Amino acid sequence: MPLGGSTDDEQALGVPALTQPSPRGRGLIADRDFDERERWPEERWRRYQWRRLRAVLRTAYDSLPFYRKRLDAVGLAPESIRSIEDYSQVPLLRKGEVLAAMRERGTYAVGMETIERAGPWALGMTSGTLGTAFLSFPQGWRRETGDALRRAYWWAGLRPGMRMMMAAPAWHSLALQESWVAQRLGAECVIPWGTFLPRFAESFLDTLLDLRPAFVSLFLPMLYGLLAECRRRGQSPDRAFAGVQSVLVVGAPLTPGARQNLKDELGVGDLFEGAGNPEGLIAMECEQHAGHHCFVDTCYVEIIDAETGRPLPPGRRGSVVVSTLARHGSVHLRYEAEDVGEIFAEPCPCGRTWPRLEIYDRRANRFRAGGRELLWYDVRECLDEVPELIGTPFAVIRRPGGSPALRIAMEQLGRWETGSLGPRIEALAGQRLGVPLQLEWVEGLPERWKGVTVIDEKEWEAAHV
Amino acid sequence: MESPIVRLAELVAAKLATGDAYAGRLAPGRRPLVTYQLDYAEETALYLGLDRRDLQRYAEALRRCLVLLDPRPGDTLAIFDYGTSPVAYLASAEYTPYLRRGAADALGCTTICNDGVTHMSARAAEILRYVRPRIFFLRLECLAPFVTACEAAGLQASRYLESIVATHNEGSLDASVRRRCQERLGVPIYELARSDAALFMAMECPECRLMHTWGDLYRVETVDGDSLEVVQGRPGSLVVTSRFARVCPAVRLLTRLEGRVAGPGCARGPGDLRWER
Repeated sequence: MPLGGSTDDEQALGVPALTQPSPRGRGLIADRDFDERERWPEERWRRYQWRRLRAVLRTAYDSLPFYRKRLDAVGLAPESIRSIEDYSQVPLLRKGEVLAAMRERGTYAVGMETIERAGPWALGMTSGTLGTAFLSFPQGWRRETGDALRRAYWWAGLRPGMRMMMAAPAWHSLALQESWVAQRLGAECVIPWGTFLPRFAESFLDTLLDLRPAFVSLFLPMLYGLLAECRRRGQSPDRAFAGVQSVLVVGAPLTPGARQNLKDELGVGDLFEGAGNPEGLIAMECEQHAGHHCFVDTCYVEIIDAETGRPLPPGRRGSVVVSTLARHGSVHLRYEAEDVGEIFAEPCPCGRTWPRLEIYDRRANRFRAGGRELLWYDVRECLDEVPELIGTPFAVIRRPGGSPALRIAMEQLGRWETGSLGPRIEALAGQRLGVPLQLEWVEGLPERWKGVTVIDEKEWEAAHV
Repeated sequence: MESPIVRLAELVAAKLATGDAYAGRLAPGRRPLVTYQLDYAEETALYLGLDRRDLQRYAEALRRCLVLLDPRPGDTLAIFDYGTSPVAYLASAEYTPYLRRGAADALGCTTICNDGVTHMSARAAEILRYVRPRIFFLRLECLAPFVTACEAAGLQASRYLESIVATHNEGSLDASVRRRCQERLGVPIYELARSDAALFMAMECPECRLMHTWGDLYRVETVDGDSLEVVQGRPGSLVVTSRFARVCPAVRLLTRLEGRVAGPGCARGPGDLRWER
């Protein structure tokens, strides 16, 4: 009997009981694959994805006033969109437009969300520098996206009967999906008190030590918070994580060096990184840990030139645009979340055919130094080649129009001699990034800049006068 | 023979002595599907394990609390509390694995939950403005920040809300705080009393202003907090037995709630147990 108990509930809900994936096809790699779809030939999954995208577009036009108005305004009818190339004519959607519609109407319901009162229905929020937007999460959305997300957790090693520590508090879009995943896969859930902010690391560490989950799902800042709490208690991380087979982190980009370092420090079987957003993106690392496979059954991802809007081919960095394939909830079509990423051109060594995406940073965190346009992630990846610096907080000091050298302020955590490190970092910046470096060691980044990755020079200078 | 009254300190001691996360409360043959760390500032963390049935019956307690406030199908209920508060995780099946139907779901209501940290109060005000919930459940420590945030946002809460419910594990709403906040918001504030270790909930009735709870879900006694002598009919500390908890039974658990058991007789729930703060 699966841990989840009888299948009566699932049948009553009209959802077939499933605590293990059903390997229907050929060529599955034993136990690592969720189903055969992830190895479909590219032509097949593109056809499948296109059918689903057309269906969402049709539903959006017919049922969601926000999209009907949008498409009518540019003279686009769904039947005129006959190819994926045609689809790029659908106007890009940005958060600012959603917020403007919300303010104009005085309600969260702007006409891009399905209203489904038959069955459980929750609303959620996303916050950011532009403001708070609201999202609709009806039961259908949770099931559809949660079912797709099972694959991600399966790849990361979650299995029926495992005890899993959950990442997000109940109301978070990830928790809505994760709780469905856990139930459908038949996992037992443990939930620390509080919320996922690092200052609650104490309760997260208590739960880890008291309940010894085999699978841990966490936001990356909380994981770093846990490590800091381990240090505070004099607890070695590998003993704290003893018994944990797999860790799944989300919420911030992880460089390859940082991932390996964390895996080694925690002493776990493996550590996976997921990528996603509540607007529809679901992407997940496979066991090769080389980029995130986009879940082609749940989202359609494009990379575009942020200036011209033109699509960019694999291997080129650009702005990430996501269209959900879920027909429930807040439907986002060609949503530009203002992240910089790329789709890799090469196939993944794992053999799965779904395209791999890497999201590097927010577009707002771009800067120019030494004649090059860079992201904070590029600097982080470079610094992570120095083992002592993995995870060390730093910020880029950015000058409008660009600066002759890369200027960074790095926290001196007191564990090493800065004198010897400085030249190594300068050499790395020159070799890896092709820019000169201006490095400032600081005791600690001021509270208002904790977690801020790029600080404008004027603000920095004003604070240090 | 009556089971002995159990103090929270005994659970703490049991956990420290044995290392058992459930402090010896895990019933033989039962396995939790969901385990929550509880909101107690004790020497060691305490936990509550629940299976499907426990979750459903616990959600029923919350549903009955909600019913006293007359929510209508189609209403939105907002929650400003941590996801680990039973007011949040029992509100909707969307939030919780293995919960078939949450309290709000059963009433045809939509839920929205804001994280329970006080600096999120501006977001709570945004919920008020754009979502217009009928009832807002607030963690006790978030009440004053919420009032301030509404005022800062220029929101007249009474235009949007019918009632506010303040809630806290083992806590109580100070009368003067309630009065001041009510005056500033123009919205009545009620209290939902909880003892999470005992899976206990009781709701202040808008009509009789006593705390309602339910005899088929709980047995409630009052005792002298020091001697533990039962003082039924007189003020004392509440001792609660959950009649539905199977995985981690709560039998005669001494809570930190104080009051006097009053008789039944409110028109809103003629058979309800009532107690008076």
